[in-house]
Amino acid sequence: MIFVIDDDEIMAEAIALNCKKKAQIFSNAIMAMTAINEGLVPDLIFLDILLDGPDGFTFLNELVSYSDTAKIPVVIISSLDFSGRDLSEYGVVGILEKEKMLPSEIYEYAERYSK
Amino acid sequence: MEKEVDGILVAAHELKAPLAVMRQLALSLPEMDFGGEHIRSEMVSVSERAIKQVNDLTKIRRLDDGLFKMEPVAVREVCDAVSRELEYLFKYNRRDLNVRYSNRARLVTANRDLLYSVIYNFLLNAMHYSGDETRAELVVKDFRDAVKIIVRDFGPTLPIDVWREMKRGWVEKPTSIAMRPGSSGLGLFIASRFSRYMNAEVGAVRHRDGTSLYVTLPISKQASLFSV
Repeated sequence: MIFVIDDDEIMAEAIALNCKKKAQIFSNAIMAMTAINEGLVPDLIFLDILLDGPDGFTFLNELVSYSDTAKIPVVIISSLDFSGRDLSEYGVVGILEKEKMLPSEIYEYAERYSK
Repeated sequence: MEKEVDGILVAAHELKAPLAVMRQLALSLPEMDFGGEHIRSEMVSVSERAIKQVNDLTKIRRLDDGLFKMEPVAVREVCDAVSRELEYLFKYNRRDLNVRYSNRARLVTANRDLLYSVIYNFLLNAMHYSGDETRAELVVKDFRDAVKIIVRDFGPTLPIDVWREMKRGWVEKPTSIAMRPGSSGLGLFIASRFSRYMNAEVGAVRHRDGTSLYVTLPISKQASLFSV
């Protein structure tokens, strides 16, 4: 199971489509965290940073603070510039720029990290 | 100058978002076994919104030339037209749009295109910030010599600094809104400029469960004899 967290639903749908695997879309971090708390733990998360309510970094902090979610791989999808930043301590395995990312890159992450 | 550059940067960031979506949708088309029509509709819808925002920005530059004629405008007709245009978008995003007229069908003094943009930007803002399965409201009310158009959403309330700017009827520049990400306040910036041009009063009310944006326009004295 893959989570796609993006308040732009059209973008989220396009990402989910390109995963070619079972993916669940959330428009904010609270909904995603609620799903995790209810036992739906994803193999991989595609995460936008600028979200309604708690932002992506707040969500990342939540994830790494719990033992059962600390190791979930996260791919950041954002229009913000993260060049030169190492976010591996948050479980971030990749950063995709929304304006440049390719369907094949999304698919590769999905293939590599999701069962 | 520095403020203007800041504003341009933030506006550019906001306009980048629909372009990124368009690109991703176009790239995703080959992945669609079926439902390609749905993606094409999305591409048209997203690009039309982006074009409208760019058009509005170019209109701001032309306001100083005074080229936008003020004339009697039927508020209900404009509200109907805007809500019809955005109906699909609201449905797609699983929001309801309730339109309510508690006014007589009076004419106001305005420029139809500019008024259309003000209501359009208010409604887009409301759609973005209302939660799934919730509603936004477009309400038109009569006052003695004016008509007030109110757009209410049920999302996070407006940050106090933006509220202050709206209260004085002048959003200085598009600004990143931390509590309302995905929006640079570009729509509010555009709406405040257009409202001032029309001598309309623009403002905002903060609620515990959302925000109301409003514009109040003087009724057209010239055409009052013809109003219903």
